[in-house]
Amino acid sequence: MIRMLLRVLGREYAGPVRRTVALMAVTAVVEGLSYALLVPVLRALFGDTPGDALPWLVAFCGAVAVYAVLRYLSDLSGFRVGTTLLRGMYHRLGDHLARLPVGWYGAGRVGEVSVLAGSGVLQAMGVIAHLLGPFISACVTPLTIIAVMLAFNWQLGLAALAAVPVVALVQVRAGRAAAAADAERAERDHEATARVIEYLQAQPVLRAGGRTAERFRLLDGALRGLQRASRRSVLSALPGVLGLTLTVQAVFTAVLVLGAYLALGGGVGAAEVLTILVLAARCADPLLSLSDIGSQIRGARSELVRLDAVLRAEPLPEAPDPVRPAGHGLEFASVTFRHGDRTVLDDVSLSVPEGRRLAVVGPSGAGKSTLLRLIARFHDVDAGAVRVGGADVRAIGTEALMARIAIVFQHVYLFDGTIEENVRLGRPGADTAAVRAAASAARLDEVVERLPGGWAATVGEGGTLLSGGERQRVAIARALLKDAPIVLLDEVTSALDPVNEAAVHEGIDRLMAGRTVVVVGHRPRTVRGADRVVFLDGGRIAAEGGHDELLRGDSGYADFWNSAMAPATDH
Amino acid sequence: MSVDERPAPPRDDGAAAGPAGLLRPYAGGFAAVVVLQVIGAVAGLAPLLAVAELGRALLAPGPADPGHVRAAVIAGAVGLLVRLLFTAASSGVGHLLDDRVQLALRRRLAARLGRVPIGWLSRRRTGELAKVVGADVAAVHPFIAHTPGELTFAFVVPLVYLSTVDWRLTLITLIPVVLAVALVPFMMTPARQREQAAFDEAMGRISTSAVEFVQGIAEVKALGGGERAHRRLRTATDDFAAVFSRMVHALSVVAAGMQLALSPPFVLLVVLAGGAALITAGSLAPADLLPFLLLGLGLTAPVAALGHGFDDTQAARRAVGRIRDVLAVRPLPEPAHPAAPQGHRVELRGVRFGYDAEREVLRGIDLVLEPGTVTAVVGPSGGGKSTLVRLLPRFFDPDSGSVAIGGVDLRELASKELHRTVSCVFQDVRLLRATVADNIALAVPHAERADVVRAARAARIHDRILELPRGYETVLGAEAELSGGEAQRISIARALLADTPVLVLDEATAFADPQTELAVRRALAAPAAGRTTLVIAHRMETVAAADTVVMLVDGSIVERGSPAELRARNGAFAAFWRSHRSAAADTADTRGGVPHGGEPR
Repeated sequence: MIRMLLRVLGREYAGPVRRTVALMAVTAVVEGLSYALLVPVLRALFGDTPGDALPWLVAFCGAVAVYAVLRYLSDLSGFRVGTTLLRGMYHRLGDHLARLPVGWYGAGRVGEVSVLAGSGVLQAMGVIAHLLGPFISACVTPLTIIAVMLAFNWQLGLAALAAVPVVALVQVRAGRAAAAADAERAERDHEATARVIEYLQAQPVLRAGGRTAERFRLLDGALRGLQRASRRSVLSALPGVLGLTLTVQAVFTAVLVLGAYLALGGGVGAAEVLTILVLAARCADPLLSLSDIGSQIRGARSELVRLDAVLRAEPLPEAPDPVRPAGHGLEFASVTFRHGDRTVLDDVSLSVPEGRRLAVVGPSGAGKSTLLRLIARFHDVDAGAVRVGGADVRAIGTEALMARIAIVFQHVYLFDGTIEENVRLGRPGADTAAVRAAASAARLDEVVERLPGGWAATVGEGGTLLSGGERQRVAIARALLKDAPIVLLDEVTSALDPVNEAAVHEGIDRLMAGRTVVVVGHRPRTVRGADRVVFLDGGRIAAEGGHDELLRGDSGYADFWNSAMAPATDH
Repeated sequence: MSVDERPAPPRDDGAAAGPAGLLRPYAGGFAAVVVLQVIGAVAGLAPLLAVAELGRALLAPGPADPGHVRAAVIAGAVGLLVRLLFTAASSGVGHLLDDRVQLALRRRLAARLGRVPIGWLSRRRTGELAKVVGADVAAVHPFIAHTPGELTFAFVVPLVYLSTVDWRLTLITLIPVVLAVALVPFMMTPARQREQAAFDEAMGRISTSAVEFVQGIAEVKALGGGERAHRRLRTATDDFAAVFSRMVHALSVVAAGMQLALSPPFVLLVVLAGGAALITAGSLAPADLLPFLLLGLGLTAPVAALGHGFDDTQAARRAVGRIRDVLAVRPLPEPAHPAAPQGHRVELRGVRFGYDAEREVLRGIDLVLEPGTVTAVVGPSGGGKSTLVRLLPRFFDPDSGSVAIGGVDLRELASKELHRTVSCVFQDVRLLRATVADNIALAVPHAERADVVRAARAARIHDRILELPRGYETVLGAEAELSGGEAQRISIARALLADTPVLVLDEATAFADPQTELAVRRALAAPAAGRTTLVIAHRMETVAAADTVVMLVDGSIVERGSPAELRARNGAFAAFWRSHRSAAADTADTRGGVPHGGEPR
């Protein structure tokens, strides 16, 4: 457990964790040893000269004082280390998540990550702050007490000692039996969380479809699955709890019977037997608490396992000696990219000289968006290479690569916050004048004027409080502010009505000026403005050249545009 | 023990929807758990009493009575067995009950969240709401599985027994308990409570930023690698760690003091000191000290459990508060006596609406949509177009005025009837993590496969579906991802399959590529008998083809009429039209004279 904890955390925390564990163990031993002083105290009190108990009582008082100090220190140390670990763990998880490839983020991940980042890390780190102390005390104190019992009466001590291997065995078995059920429970928990998030975010669609909670079986199924898994995990833990209780109680009964027998036989003094029974009772309570602590530790452990799994997921490899790209030209050299079984891009070669514009056109699903994403290295290619400034994107440091690229996506996702914050993300250090300039270039200032709160208006999660067109203007302003030499545009004007489209085009023209641009375009205007057009179909380049040249050719490009412009209806 | 497995029957009044109301069906189960716990707790005292009795027998002057000793030992052993059985039973039953209550609560929350106004939802953070349904419901556990009844009993029974032995020593034994209880107010000061509120808030922010992080991962990456990429998540976690550390720091002294007061060595010290004083003074029989040594700790254990569980209980209380808040949100009311619409004429009369009191988005809309006609809404962005069309599927109710279909106000229409009448294709396509077929048949769950395929063909997505690993059975999001345009077509197939008499489109075809766009416009415009269509138009082709055009500016209709009429009027629409024509000119130009027909001139 500790080993796993340290692996997940990183070695730098090993020292403090070990010191805390040692301090807790010493505290537990001192507690056990302090009970040894009960023997002379009780012997005196049960005997003829109760007054003799006083010096021993004073000694016990001293021992309790030592215990108190140690206990306080170890509690404090547990809290402190726990908090430090919490922060460290969050940083590690966050850094790692940011380095994982976009491909890792499938549909189920949102539940997993939000549970892990929320309660998961806290639960896993709570081991140190809350569980480790009681656990060590529940193991070490009874062992110390048994040693004390052995010292005073070997028969009764041996009887108590018999409990140790059985308790250990029961605990280990119980852990194994419950592990599978616990793991399944956690998985169901993630699944249910993902479904709840989906359910909440898909409300417009679900309602329009008349799917209320009762009729949305995907959610209800996930909730029931969680309940069933939870029931199985309770039932699978039950034998362990029963076994432990039975063992501890049987041994206590055995000590009681043996003590009574020894006392009746006169072999041992009554005071001694009674004292040892008091000690035995002190053993039983912590041992019984083991099953509860054990299950909590198992819970924390399974969170740790999942953290470990996420932390072990391979991030896109970073080049050890990053190359500096020379210039801002782009090149695809025989690039093949697969998603699962499907070949999304098949042997695509193209190049965009620095400062030129390439338009990518084609039916949906042709691989246009993927092409953009490969330039930003959201995924690594399966064959061939994507080069920026002559350097393979895999050889450029992520930060250096991203600093050169500004992207405006088809679906703009804004972060919950003000409009200004969202624009500023493009260049966090930018001064207000620069932010305002970018905004007016993207015609975002009109939007800001209209919104109550202006620049401080919040956009809602994902930007849901803005319309599609407004979101795109924010994204364009952000890209303008970033002022990167390479610009990737995906369908920027698609959600705008013609007036706004014209307005946004001004912004886009400014964004593209003097930069290397790849634009996925459906709008004639964008395509016409490009130096070169690539017509993508089924992951392959079906034709490339100038727009007019392609229209005259027989690649299907002309048909593609014709159908685009034909009227909807005949009336 | 029988526990009702069905979810609690739906009730609409916010007051009765609290967790207490929800727990009522399980009252029998709770009572059983408490009874089992109490019997177990009392039986658990038997072995300790046996030791005490053994002490009395052994320490009594003269030879010990073997019969007395044997009886004590047997009583102790039996007590242990009883405790084992009852504690196990109560724990098992309690946890199973817990699971059921949690399921019922979650279903209840889901049902409520499915009926609250969309406007309320869009202003909430998904991560925080998901946390209410998930972690907060789970946090209610201590209220259910560990009842206060058990702890009270475990405290009172030994107390009564001990006071019959010696009341003075009983009072002394209570000293640690009193010390610990005296510390409780320090854990509930306003400052502590503020910290706890901050703790919950910070945790909620983590959930939110985690959801944002995953869903906006492409943006996160695009904004730059390394540090900057996940600043929001890091800020949220750092804040949380800081709040947590502050809270733990403030609590740790009090908590440590409490733990110490209740720790076995300290309790034993107090009991021994008191006992020694009384025995030395000759006013207590040595054998009477034993029950205190054994049961005294039993007395502190429930208090310690309360202390241990103090954080949990507090957290549970706050979680219940959040659950109650969600359940208290007023859903869009369902009519008691739903009316039946006559025909599918849509009428908006004097409709005013604002998402909040300060800003009115729609300022008095009067609009009639005749069956069999297409009405196009045009106007600058932010003018209220999206809000207007969202009134038809009743995502909101107007603040004043009415929206009626077939002469029936939407508020008088059963939601089932409404869903049979209106379908929508919105700009934000959302696919579910479900099979392609289920995604298309969202509004028609029992649709025949042939109908699903027909809709998919009409939306020009059928061929692409066949390329997926398992065709129509492919689970989207898990087995395959669709591009933006493909997702759009699925959502159009949805609307085609639903085939409702009223259709609402919002920038529906904007994302689709040209070929799809054409196919889809044709499919949707197909003369379905008397279909009423309301579309937010972005393409002039659509506007030109509409029967009626409505120009919406700043929440009011400034012009309406047929496209030709409006152009002739030379007002706002004509200006709008002209500004478009420059864009249209681009289009014609670009296509380099490839022949086409019907484009508006």
